Amino acid sequence: MNDTRLPMTVIGGYLGAGKTTLINRLLQAPHGLRLMVMVNDFGAINIDADLLQSADEDTLTLTNGCVCCTMGADLFLAMGRVLDREPRPDHLLIEASGVADPQKIANAALAEPDMRYGGIVTVVDAREFDALNTDPLIGPQIRDQISCADLITLSKTDQPDPALAETLQALSPAPVVTTDGADLFDRLLMLVDGPGTHSAGHAHPAYVNWSYEGPETFQPRALRDLLAARPGDLIRVKGQLRGTQGQGWTVQVVGSQIEITPCPQPDQSRLIGIGLAGRLDRAQAESWWSSVTSEVV
Amino acid sequence: MSTTRVFQAKKIITMDPNQPEATHVAVRDGKILAVGGPGCAAPWGEFTTDDSLADAVLMPGLVEGHAHLMAGAMWTYAYAGYHDRTDPQGKLWKGKRDIETVIADLQAYEAELPEDSPLIAWGFDPIFLPTERLSRAHLDRISTTRPIAVIFSNFHLMCVNSKALELAQYSPATNVPGVVVGDDGSLTGELQEMAAMFPVMRRLGIDFRTLAQREPSIRTYGEVAKRAGVTTITDLFSTMEDSDLDTMLRVTGEEDFPLRIVPVLGAVAGQPEEIAARAKMLAGKSTDKLRLGAVKLMTDGSIQGWTARVKWPGYVGGHPNGIWNTAPEQIFALCEVMQREGVQMHIHVNGDEASEVSLDALEAAIRKHPWQGHRHVLQHCQMMGVDQFRRSADLGVCVNIFANHIWYFGDQHAALTIGEERASRMDACRGALDNGVAMTIHSDAPVTPLGPLFTAWCAVNRQTMTGRTLGPTQRISVHEALHAITLGAAYTLKLDAEIGSVEVGKRADFAVLGEDPTTVAPEALRDVPVLGTVMGGKVHLL
Repeated sequence: MNDTRLPMTVIGGYLGAGKTTLINRLLQAPHGLRLMVMVNDFGAINIDADLLQSADEDTLTLTNGCVCCTMGADLFLAMGRVLDREPRPDHLLIEASGVADPQKIANAALAEPDMRYGGIVTVVDAREFDALNTDPLIGPQIRDQISCADLITLSKTDQPDPALAETLQALSPAPVVTTDGADLFDRLLMLVDGPGTHSAGHAHPAYVNWSYEGPETFQPRALRDLLAARPGDLIRVKGQLRGTQGQGWTVQVVGSQIEITPCPQPDQSRLIGIGLAGRLDRAQAESWWSSVTSEVV
Repeated sequence: MSTTRVFQAKKIITMDPNQPEATHVAVRDGKILAVGGPGCAAPWGEFTTDDSLADAVLMPGLVEGHAHLMAGAMWTYAYAGYHDRTDPQGKLWKGKRDIETVIADLQAYEAELPEDSPLIAWGFDPIFLPTERLSRAHLDRISTTRPIAVIFSNFHLMCVNSKALELAQYSPATNVPGVVVGDDGSLTGELQEMAAMFPVMRRLGIDFRTLAQREPSIRTYGEVAKRAGVTTITDLFSTMEDSDLDTMLRVTGEEDFPLRIVPVLGAVAGQPEEIAARAKMLAGKSTDKLRLGAVKLMTDGSIQGWTARVKWPGYVGGHPNGIWNTAPEQIFALCEVMQREGVQMHIHVNGDEASEVSLDALEAAIRKHPWQGHRHVLQHCQMMGVDQFRRSADLGVCVNIFANHIWYFGDQHAALTIGEERASRMDACRGALDNGVAMTIHSDAPVTPLGPLFTAWCAVNRQTMTGRTLGPTQRISVHEALHAITLGAAYTLKLDAEIGSVEVGKRADFAVLGEDPTTVAPEALRDVPVLGTVMGGKVHLL
């Protein structure tokens, strides 16, 4: 699998939710990726002086290879400029504005052949959520930001309040994690790049891995239904499967998005999945898949 | 020594109550030296009389308080809309009343295009062609080898041909929100919202912002304005980067450029303090024909797109309420900082909840930071009632009402968006004037065509496309409408000391008309021919 498409992740959430704090951490974490981060406003971007290589009116270049830029007047034009960059960054992160619907931005990654969907991460301020949720003016837009999320990160708390977690889960099946854990970045990358593509991907305490290898063959339409019925906590799945007509299928699942594209027939069907420790039960994944394969074969 | 030139006209409508009519106006150094009869300039020494406008009626140069620079740039592409429009060169583009006409006209346009250019069209609106949906199959009849994109008038949708779909790598297997699949499982060619349009726009090189800021587009804006009798116009959401400013200064600075442009800086991204600082920096760069320093706030969306924020009971048919493009708390923060920093605001408000929140924000800001002469302007104001007009008057806030909507969308508003009662008191010019609000009216070009006399006709007659009079109570007189498109608009731009009437000391900017708008039937106001303009004493006839 040589996928040269630029993965794009959208970071959504209301004003003051903690998107910028998250971005500051992502830019400076030792992940080894050349991230391109587009933000609405430079004002709050705070890069350690020893990490800053250069800065001009609308771009900050870091010594670790990451770049942070403002999107200017038109988000989509800015996206086009990133795609035209040589070389392309490893990953594009977009900070949605405080009232934006992140889905409408993320859809561009589904539409554009040169991009790949890298999920929607919605940041929620644990202390402000109740007030915002019940605000008749802005409440509906806040709920839309949550319902489209593939991962919800709670800021300004160590421990998700059970009542809050319940409210959020009623809006979205996405896992809820806190932004304070040291392994936050691994969790985000898991969503984005999937298991096994970066150094932290193996046997990391934040993850539960699941995998399958076998001779079974699949039809794309049925496969989509099968993947849609997977345990909700299995948030990232990828692999190549044997087709029934001598044609193979590449599978990319990120949260709510399932992508199935043709590929040469592989010798074996292989699928790997990943979920968050403490949420995904491997036995649950196994039992889902065994019920699936027993039906198909 | 300065020369004095006296223009003789059939009639001059001055909009100055002290001398409502005249036949001669004397111009020196680009300004009005005297107004009256043939001898009005006599006390000022030698003069020459110019009778080239002797058969024309002069008015103060018309002022458009809400339009966009894109109104010029759009003519880079083919027009595919339902209504007649005239391009900057004066060519009439007949409205396309059915899809067959859209296709036939685009076929003719395509025949003239260079081989390697995509065919891009704009202004198409399916709301007026409800019987059949424009599709890829229609556009494939124009070409299967050249990519084609027909952009809808709201800019949120487009329809493309098979070639464009192929370039974007869209296929029946594509599973992307907004890439519309027909009943037969194949793509219809319709693409909804920016994300789905993005791969096509990127590959066809469609970039409105850059296009609008280019020198030819600015010149085209000047031509569009001249045809409408407009000598001062806004660009009411300017992105104005430093390089854009240089281009604007150069083009508007040319003696022959026939237009004064008032770019209003969009306040969307960044901290309010930074936006205010940039606006103030820009204010310092102003010249006679480029007036900078104000900012534009967005709040809600549009009523016909069901994205405006409307108060209870909301939209007819149970459509959910609209969206905030700027959060209410940000509106408050922006209003406070701009008021404190002395930066004038133009605030987009379509729905009545958006206008209410904006008035709340303005009131809070004004309580904290006194500034009597702010003249902040609510823009569009489509659902404001008497209560909100009273508040505007109390706060010294002006309104710029979207009168063109009555004709273009009035029927749709009554039937589909907000229902009969509220539609009949939309764009309530009478209510605004009777409650003492400083008022003007606008086109929002290119959303609707630039033409202040047409906009005045809308406010006077309130006629819709089906010919009904929508809310006759809210009609205003011809004189009130003419005031709105001259002094009324000038006031909202803080330019009423310089323009808006034919008075001694003001700039010699005139609209040159073929008939007298005060004596034609009010129903014929929109048919008064525009022959050109005079800008700073320089004549620009069509």
